[in-house]
Amino acid sequence: MTPRWRFWFLGALSLAVVVAAIYLPILRRNIRQAAKLQQRSEEQARRELTQPTVINPSDPKVKAKLFWASGADDGTVSPVTVELPLSNEPVLRAKQVLNTLLAGPVDTELRTVPSDAALLAFYLLPDGTAIADFSEALGTSTPSGIQSEQMAVDSIARTLEANVPKVQRLKILIHGQEMETLAGHLDLSQAFPVNANAGSSRPRAAATPGPAVANPALTPAATTVKLTQSPDKSATKP
Amino acid sequence: MLEFAAQVRTALEAQGFQVVQTRQGNANPSFDDRSAMANAQRAAIFVTLHIASTGVPGTARVYVMNDIAPGTDATGLIPWDRAQAPFVSLSRKLGDQVSALLAQRFKGSPAVAQTASVRQLRTTAAPAIAVEISSVTVDDRAQLDHMAPGVADAIARGAAAFRPTYVVPANPGERP
Repeated sequence: MTPRWRFWFLGALSLAVVVAAIYLPILRRNIRQAAKLQQRSEEQARRELTQPTVINPSDPKVKAKLFWASGADDGTVSPVTVELPLSNEPVLRAKQVLNTLLAGPVDTELRTVPSDAALLAFYLLPDGTAIADFSEALGTSTPSGIQSEQMAVDSIARTLEANVPKVQRLKILIHGQEMETLAGHLDLSQAFPVNANAGSSRPRAAATPGPAVANPALTPAATTVKLTQSPDKSATKP
Repeated sequence: MLEFAAQVRTALEAQGFQVVQTRQGNANPSFDDRSAMANAQRAAIFVTLHIASTGVPGTARVYVMNDIAPGTDATGLIPWDRAQAPFVSLSRKLGDQVSALLAQRFKGSPAVAQTASVRQLRTTAAPAIAVEISSVTVDDRAQLDHMAPGVADAIARGAAAFRPTYVVPANPGERP
């Protein structure tokens, strides 16, 4: 290599080093920013999913009935009338009342659903079946037990019943999935009837899945035998 | 819970019942496994025990399934997911018997059975009740231990009172 070429080569090399020295920190900063942007958009997407439906002040103000715990510590819920601007569109209206229900009552002791639970989606099928998709917290933070689980479902079902007449049945999903139970006891595999318990005198603490039907009559036939105190009868328990 | 179950077992056996426990030790059978065990018994009743996280401490409640539509199957077999349907009214009778006795013993407990969609009950083809005791939040565990004999006695006496009204189909698979 001639001295002239060596000069140009070293010059170009030095220039490349200088450019790299300037560019590398910028590149690093850009990579950091891109990662932060990605993180933010994930958070944004999650927040958009769980964000309470904005209540439009131009919607007519309605006296909505929200069902929270009655305070009797017996698993019952009772209505609290709250004046809210509610949409006439059933899906939006359902989201508005459910998000208000999830936000909780003034007295937090009367809360029926966990404070960290969120409504992820709500659909209403033409046959009146509502599909409410809640975040995992509904299942993981609801206290385990028949009474507490049914109080959570009852407060949701009765709030919809009181405010969204088009809802006939309620199917609850957790994070988009059909679950066997809410928190170990209450059956979530079937839809809960809404507006189906009028006239029932038996204590009801929650809507029960499946369409309500008349009981099959207990009709002892000639081919039946009475349970007697013989050794072949069994009682089972866990 | 197993200690509670052991006391219930003893009380039921004292009333002349043969008892099959669906859970032994730390095993945790699925809902369907437990129902399969219960449904394999003839002329059985099913009692599932729970200790709640909520409720007034020192009270106990009985739950039965609400009405569920019986499945229409051309074969005449009872669909698994609606196995409880033909037994709902019998379950209520059993539940009311046990509830009345629990209410006498534990003040503040409901005197009649309540309805709830308890997953375990839905697939059980027998008169079935869930007994829930309040609660795990008691300051002293001894409070719960003190309840065990009373709960066991109420279940056993309730089952014994229910027995004469339980008409068992002669053939397996027949509806009551």
